[in-house]
Amino acid sequence: MTINVNGVGIDYGVILPELIVVGTAIVVLFLELVVPADRRRWLAAVTVVGLLGALIASLALWGQNRAAFGGTVVGDSLAAFFNVLLLAISILTVLISPRFLQAVELDFGEYYVLLLGATAGMMLLAAATSLMTIFLGIELLSISLYVLSGFARTALRSQESALKYLLLGGFATGFLLYGMALIYGATGSTTLRGIAAFTVAGGSNAAGNVLLLLGIGFLSVGLAFKASAAPFHMWTPDVYEGAPTIVTTFMSVATKSAAFAAIGRIFIATFPSISSRWYFPLALIAIFSLFIGNLVAVIQDNIKRMLAYSGIAHAGYILLGVLPGTTQAFTATLFYIAAYSVMNFGAFAVVTAVGAGGEQTAELSYWRGLFYRRPFLATVMTIFMLSLAGIPPTVGFFAKLFVFQALVNAQIWAPLIVAVIMTIVSFYYYLRVIVVMLAPADEAVVETHGLGVSTSTVLGAAALATIVLGIFPATVLDWATHAASLHF
Amino acid sequence: MSWYTLPGQVPWLTLVLVIPLAGALLVALTPSIAGRVIKQLGVLTSVITLALVLAIVGGFQHGVGSLHLQFEEARQWIPALGISYHVGIDGLSLFLLGLNALLFLLAIVVTDPLTPRLKQFVLLLLILEAATAGILLALDLILFYVFWEAMLVPLYFLIGVWGEGRRVYAAFKFLIYTVIGSFAMLIAILAVAAINFSQTQQLSFDWTVLVQHPAVGIWHLPAGLGTIGIQQLLFLGFGLAFAIKMPIFPLHTWLPAAYTSAPIPVVIVFSGLVSKLGAYGFLRFNLALFPDAAHSLGPALALLATIGILYGAFMALVQTDLKRLVAYASMSHLGFIGLGIFAGNLLGIEGALVQMVNHGVIIAALFLVVGMIERRAGTRDRTQLRGLGASAPLFAALFLVVSLAALGLPGLNGFVGEFLIMLGAWTAFVPLAVAAGVGVVLAAWYVLRFYQGSFQEAPPQPPAFTEMRAGDVGILAPLLALMLVIGISPAFFPAAVEATVRALPVITR
Repeated sequence: MTINVNGVGIDYGVILPELIVVGTAIVVLFLELVVPADRRRWLAAVTVVGLLGALIASLALWGQNRAAFGGTVVGDSLAAFFNVLLLAISILTVLISPRFLQAVELDFGEYYVLLLGATAGMMLLAAATSLMTIFLGIELLSISLYVLSGFARTALRSQESALKYLLLGGFATGFLLYGMALIYGATGSTTLRGIAAFTVAGGSNAAGNVLLLLGIGFLSVGLAFKASAAPFHMWTPDVYEGAPTIVTTFMSVATKSAAFAAIGRIFIATFPSISSRWYFPLALIAIFSLFIGNLVAVIQDNIKRMLAYSGIAHAGYILLGVLPGTTQAFTATLFYIAAYSVMNFGAFAVVTAVGAGGEQTAELSYWRGLFYRRPFLATVMTIFMLSLAGIPPTVGFFAKLFVFQALVNAQIWAPLIVAVIMTIVSFYYYLRVIVVMLAPADEAVVETHGLGVSTSTVLGAAALATIVLGIFPATVLDWATHAASLHF
Repeated sequence: MSWYTLPGQVPWLTLVLVIPLAGALLVALTPSIAGRVIKQLGVLTSVITLALVLAIVGGFQHGVGSLHLQFEEARQWIPALGISYHVGIDGLSLFLLGLNALLFLLAIVVTDPLTPRLKQFVLLLLILEAATAGILLALDLILFYVFWEAMLVPLYFLIGVWGEGRRVYAAFKFLIYTVIGSFAMLIAILAVAAINFSQTQQLSFDWTVLVQHPAVGIWHLPAGLGTIGIQQLLFLGFGLAFAIKMPIFPLHTWLPAAYTSAPIPVVIVFSGLVSKLGAYGFLRFNLALFPDAAHSLGPALALLATIGILYGAFMALVQTDLKRLVAYASMSHLGFIGLGIFAGNLLGIEGALVQMVNHGVIIAALFLVVGMIERRAGTRDRTQLRGLGASAPLFAALFLVVSLAALGLPGLNGFVGEFLIMLGAWTAFVPLAVAAGVGVVLAAWYVLRFYQGSFQEAPPQPPAFTEMRAGDVGILAPLLALMLVIGISPAFFPAAVEATVRALPVITR
């Protein structure tokens, strides 16, 4: 394949954000060699500057539709939407990182390099319009995250989680790759545009093309694994629990977002003409995720595991917006992803701030009376829990409302009813955290560490965003509407 | 009929929502050590809110405005989905708004300054006040739902954290019941808008729009199980939420636990106001948006309401715990309100509206009295209280007034509402009116036994029971005054709401 296909040639502007992120990663890698150990904060500062630069470069892609490099990547509003989201998550993660890393004695420069690598992979995935670039993005983000999960080199749990993630992740990648091979075999094209053209031209033949359908199925398995949707979620609780909390914070929101960007490009933009074929399996994955995530979260006593199962459940809600197969419904998915990113990042960031005291802090019993020991942390955690449960006036409410509305409009009832019942179940475990924090304090627990300016600013900003977007969701909804209008 | 005209440019209703929230913010910024300041802030906030609400009630002009709505404010909120910030009041919500402000003021006034975590307690009460006011004012279905759900969280914590006995169990049971109803309503709200869109090509959640286009059509159940009218289905979706909140028999099982566990300030607003919001929801949405379904399903619900009257009354008869007794009495009275609503005629609905205010006043007074008895005697077990009237004659006299109002004595407020409801029910379904009459007799029985047993029978030895202090009288005074005023001028309230009720689709269709 030559680079210049269909007149779509080299356009560095489209991948400028990714280039900036990768460039920053290389700079940080070399800086790590010269910066003394007690000055590693500067690495965080350089990382933030690089990410901010990429964020500004991403804004230039808004409202455009620039295919580049032979149609393998595209610079459009959807890519810009996800770039901004992923970069914002990344920046916030870096801002709360130094304090946590110092507390757990993991303050190494490679952390920032790997984080930048994962971010670049996710951004590439969001912009990818060919099977090749999708695979490239997934591998880049996965390999970075495998290493990050095991970053606590001396902690057995962290090692275990990294190995588990690597083995299962490798397995899922195998599925993904095989699916891609089958799709290429069926359609003769690796670009989504070419595949879509084949599918539309094939009409009903395409809907009966076993090779193609098998390929889509395998591809879905790989993506569902990354989005931690059930039944491909097995790794999630162990990895979330074992990985350093700061890494969990990042990957719980960023990986899921990136995976859904690809899911949107594949199902909404590439295969709308055979939606009757993929609707049922996808609906089943959504229902599985809702059931398993919400029901198992109820019995968790470790807050990281609880949030892991909650994340599985939210993958189900997000997937619901894909089911109608319309860009209108996909808007709800995008809004949900943005909302989930804010509130779940916040929740894990609180766990990070509390958890800098040690390993046992993720146990729910440690959180007894947090309202009296750490009123600020407990208050923002309350906001995040209410939002995850979907109680107004928080952004989580509108996220669920928009998804439910999309389902009502499309008259998709069974998944809707499951989602509603499971939401009621979810109230139990989210509100339980608040009740525990309000319970009489445990005198034996002594807090030894403060929060720091950057952590409290990040937490305050996330909590404020959760409330403000819960009262004025219209602007973000408009952005999501614009970003969801995918076209080839 | 209005005494003056308020200037039109001021967003009066938004102020009613914002002032409690501003008070909550001030409370949140006050250090928790300053308990006295926190309580004063709470009282001040609710006094200002009450003054504002009274000004609005006085300036309300009956029978004026489109759909008789006044003080309307409408702003775009989420234009892409036809969701707007639209508030307004009419005859349905006017007096409940006043009741809301009054009861929250009383609740904060009777809050013990030594309550642990007083700051969070007052904070949650003020947030709850804004949420319940929002429920009464919202004219956009999504806005209504937001307030409806927002009400849940403060209530959950007020019971679960500050309650007594099995408080977490009670709070959680209440939460699960309510949430199940809420989600049924949410789906119905989304469906109403979707159906309206397919009928009129206009996506809107606005009550004033939807009320003009009642949904039509029938729904074919899967697997050939027959058909059900779309209106009936939607009616049931909304109705589940409201029936649980009211509660209507047999959805009441969360109520005894929740009322018994809730601390007195909370139970005042809980029983006095929150239960009425369910009844209000029926009037505002079920009877207005689905008039045909209201006619076809009304008799069944009226039957359930009547069962509730009798069930609540019989359960009240066998209680020894005074708080539980009043809780069941409240349920019995709510049955009357339900009967009036589902009678679906002018008299019944007017009676229900009047009785909603009456019940709020009476039940709040009863719970206040129970709280005062418990604080003085150290128990609220009916069998252990004897002859308290001997040492506290003023207490006995005031309690007697409350009791007589509760059993519906003519000349006091309880009679007005019950009489109108009975008239309405008699027109619609005679047997149910007769059964409800039995409920009135039972009410006299359990109320008088409560009064006589605890205050009149001769004690073994004179109990150490303190007389009412000026502060206690001051708290009861506004409620007693309302009982007398409504009882003496029974025509005032029905006349004030008549224009709105006459325009309700359930009456006009």
